[in-house]
Amino acid sequence: MLDFAIYCLTIIAVWSVLGLSLNIQFGLTGLVNFGQVLPFGLGAYAAALAAQAGLPWPAGAALGLVVAVAVSLMVLLPARRLSQDYWALITLGAGELFRLTALNAPSLGGADGLTVPRFADPHLALGAALALMAAAWLVSHRISHSPFGRLLKVLREDEVLAATLGRNPVSYQRTVSIIAWAMAAAGGVLYAHIVGYVSPSSFTVTETFIVWTALILGGPGNNLGVVVGAAAVQLLSVSSRFVASWIDLPADVLANGRLALFGLVLVLMFLFRPQGLVPEKKEVRDAQRR
Amino acid sequence: MLQVLFNSLVYASMIAVIAVGVALCYSILRFANFAHIQFAVVGGYLTYSFAAIPGLPLPAAVALSAVATGLIAILVDILVFSRLRDITPEGKMIVSWGVALFIRSVVAIIYGGGGRAFDISSEAVIVGDAVFTTLDALVVAVAAVLMLLLHLFLNRTRIGSGLRALASNADLAVTRGIPGERLIRLMWFLSGALAAIGGTLLAFETRLQPNMDLIILLPVFAAVTIGGLSNVFGAVLGALILSFAQNLLIYVDFGALFGGDSWQIPTQFRDYVAVLALVVVLLLRPRLSPLAGR
Repeated sequence: MLDFAIYCLTIIAVWSVLGLSLNIQFGLTGLVNFGQVLPFGLGAYAAALAAQAGLPWPAGAALGLVVAVAVSLMVLLPARRLSQDYWALITLGAGELFRLTALNAPSLGGADGLTVPRFADPHLALGAALALMAAAWLVSHRISHSPFGRLLKVLREDEVLAATLGRNPVSYQRTVSIIAWAMAAAGGVLYAHIVGYVSPSSFTVTETFIVWTALILGGPGNNLGVVVGAAAVQLLSVSSRFVASWIDLPADVLANGRLALFGLVLVLMFLFRPQGLVPEKKEVRDAQRR
Repeated sequence: MLQVLFNSLVYASMIAVIAVGVALCYSILRFANFAHIQFAVVGGYLTYSFAAIPGLPLPAAVALSAVATGLIAILVDILVFSRLRDITPEGKMIVSWGVALFIRSVVAIIYGGGGRAFDISSEAVIVGDAVFTTLDALVVAVAAVLMLLLHLFLNRTRIGSGLRALASNADLAVTRGIPGERLIRLMWFLSGALAAIGGTLLAFETRLQPNMDLIILLPVFAAVTIGGLSNVFGAVLGALILSFAQNLLIYVDFGALFGGDSWQIPTQFRDYVAVLALVVVLLLRPRLSPLAGR
């Protein structure tokens, strides 16, 4: 039971990192990334490839971060200066292309995927996951409370206003993407070492929307909200296994029922509580009073 | 080469019938509706169910499925999108994914994970060195008739011009007495019904499976983007261009072209063309910037 609790916490921490990464992009800056699973998958596959080549894990981690940053710049190239509809389409397409490549390239293991050496000690895995989550939290906290972060919020609320302030929205969006994608890639590296294998079926559009559900449920723009959302979604995910053993549901019905619930949660949050469970505190400053 | 043309036409027909609904929705409600893909999946499965009713001919099953899916689309609007008319386009886009995830999972629960195929007899027709089936011809004909009807409806009827007025300036249209909300419902019905027929055609040509949404997701949205998102017949043109590019790329023997052994691009990589086309279009159309206004 304790082992199971440790596993749950580890998984929640990893998904929180993904959620925090998406929060910097969407919650702070307003970038709609429908391919959040791409940097995550890149990190995981980099870890797997490095392990296959007999390299130690830091090599895989470094490879993952470098590739994720490089790909984020590539994805930004066509998406720059476009409205968020197109941004969403480009990131969605890039994510799907990665999955198709992993599925069809024999050197990436195809549908069977690749094995990765696991953490020998689950406590160590939990420690690493919590450390990464703390680091991601710290980075997001620093960003959102810096002048840079305040400008990101201006960018989110009104891109034209940001431009009239003499700021170049594109360069801000680029910086945000690099940081957020590196963060998600680090989460991917860790995920690969925790789960012990990577396969294309772990990096589908559905995974992206599980992160979105966590973000919208918790509250976009608020770090605590993101972690609460990720914890709620992942706990729901694992606890549904127990429900299944009680009422004897087939595994595929259960998996789909869970996804239906996530979809429902996403829609209901938008309808009834768009600010999320833990809303962002909007800063109101009175310029006259200073 | 004739074969490429045939294959492209068949594929483009199926994609176009689905894609016009996305463009219709975008032109009036200004958001990319990702749940639209699920209407196609639902339509395919509903046709399968209706076709199982003894004594019901297949065309009637398709028509029933189109009406039912159209009503489902209206229901989705009443329950979800009509309550969110005033939120940002990004928000609507994210909500549409929630709806998509929900519909997709419910379909998978009801029909299970296995594939299902329609039992349709079809004969091969040989033209020169190219082959197509009578089913292929039927698919292209149905799509062509539907697109013609849609064109006539939008451009030759009062209701159609009401829809176009709503698309070009919703506030002005409503001020001038056009019943906006009722026409929006009609738009949902039309796109749902068209998606259902498109999904059914796709199921005729391939087979029904829960993850057919992932198979058509990129081609449909690439086609709509090539056509300019809010242009209904641009989406048809986009589907044709995309389909032709995909089939040509798979057909060309690149090995022989560069003087080596025969080597062709594996068919699994056709989706790369979809994303590549998307990227090229976006690079070439800098006017789509949010700063340039809509």
